[in-house]
Amino acid sequence: MKRLITVVAAIALTGIVGCKANSPGQLETRTITFAEHHVFIGNKKQKNPLPNTLQTLADGKEAFSHYCVACHGMDGQNTGVPFVEHISPPIPSLASPDVQSYTDGQLKWILDYGISPSGMPGSKGTLSDDELWSIVVFLRHLPPAGSQGIPDMYTH
Amino acid sequence: MNRKYMQLILMATVLVAAGLSCPIARADAVPQRIEITAKRFAFEPGQITLKKGQPVVLVLKSMDVAHGIRFRDLNVEVKVGAHGTSEVRFTPEKTGDFVGHCSVFCGSGHGQMVLTLHVVD
Repeated sequence: MKRLITVVAAIALTGIVGCKANSPGQLETRTITFAEHHVFIGNKKQKNPLPNTLQTLADGKEAFSHYCVACHGMDGQNTGVPFVEHISPPIPSLASPDVQSYTDGQLKWILDYGISPSGMPGSKGTLSDDELWSIVVFLRHLPPAGSQGIPDMYTH
Repeated sequence: MNRKYMQLILMATVLVAAGLSCPIARADAVPQRIEITAKRFAFEPGQITLKKGQPVVLVLKSMDVAHGIRFRDLNVEVKVGAHGTSEVRFTPEKTGDFVGHCSVFCGSGHGQMVLTLHVVD
């Protein structure tokens, strides 16, 4: 009986500790990053149907400003996002090699479906395909960090 | 004599110019007007058939918030404020199906707001 109580208590404790939202360790981060790039995130081979022009870039910047900026900042590099230090898993800089090494098709897939269980939501239906593909172009030409100021919603 | 010859040339030029401009004048004549209502999150009607080469005016009316419609392939866009009316005039010059999307972010179903133009001969 005593042994049973000890085992149950150990399982419960493990569960509680496991639920604590600590920052992921290096091994955890590497494993998840690998799995995302090679297993979970599909659509690797799809090409962007939109022309890579200044107009598409401007469209992407505008579409990005609708609500991506709440978490990623105006520059896609988290500038001015007040909770960026307090969220786990952390919000990546979209200019980072981890993000930039996704193919265009994978970036579109992430925009469509999000990444669960991170905080990244899917936007399929909320933004049109045109807008999502134009955001992919914007992600490939992000402005310098801090150059776009702070999102309006955080300046009031 | 020389002056009369010049007058004849001038008259002929004017007549030729008038003749050439006739098709344009016809095209400018009376464009078809089509009313479209925009309401979160749909356009009504959702499909429109147009004739190639026939000028058209799309009249966009918002029943709620600001909306817009953009046909990327036709380079046509019109935006409208909340409860407002705007219009855009154009002449479709190629046949096919062209999908327009709402071009002003209007909420969670914004990406589902589409209007298809069928342009036929």
